[in-house]
Amino acid sequence: MNVGMGFKLNHLQSMLLFALLISIAFGFLSRRRPIDRVKYIVWSLFLFLLIGVGIGWAMYPFSH
Amino acid sequence: MADETAVQAATPQDSRKETIAFAIGVAGWFVPGLGHALLKMWGRAVMCFLTVGVLVILGAGMRGNLFSSSGNDAFDTLGFLADLGTGTFYLAARSFETNGADVSHAGGDYGTRFLATAGVLNLLAALHSYEAARGRKA
Repeated sequence: MNVGMGFKLNHLQSMLLFALLISIAFGFLSRRRPIDRVKYIVWSLFLFLLIGVGIGWAMYPFSH
Repeated sequence: MADETAVQAATPQDSRKETIAFAIGVAGWFVPGLGHALLKMWGRAVMCFLTVGVLVILGAGMRGNLFSSSGNDAFDTLGFLADLGTGTFYLAARSFETNGADVSHAGGDYGTRFLATAGVLNLLAALHSYEAARGRKA
């Protein structure tokens, strides 16, 4: 199997995928009830994106 | 007084339970999700397998750097240990990435992080299954 042809993802898509996958894994590992898992996944995803975009903007001045 | 401070000796049952828990932890590392599957935690088992698997496929597909044991510095060694955390998926990633790594663009760099994260996440899941097998609340 060769997936070497590559997935062409931009920064935002990569960050979204990363945040979503990790949030799902954390949610399933740390919570038992389905409703708690959903809440945890949504909250974790929100924080991942907030902090990711925040750090991106914090680095923005240094790119000029 | 002596009774209060005396440490209870480990019984053979405790020792056996500990050995089984360790084996479950190793199984969870070797095949992502297997540790939880052995404990009949099906949801967690499937999710561990899928999330680690998708991260590895994405990381390899984005031509991330899959570190080998012949690293030149401490960071290479740490990267290798993180990648090795995916267990058998490390070998799968090697076979996926036939064109080799390409970190000259952002995609490859992201791929490297995806692969390392998959390994660390699997180690966390294996530790979780080990703790659950020991009887800790999980």
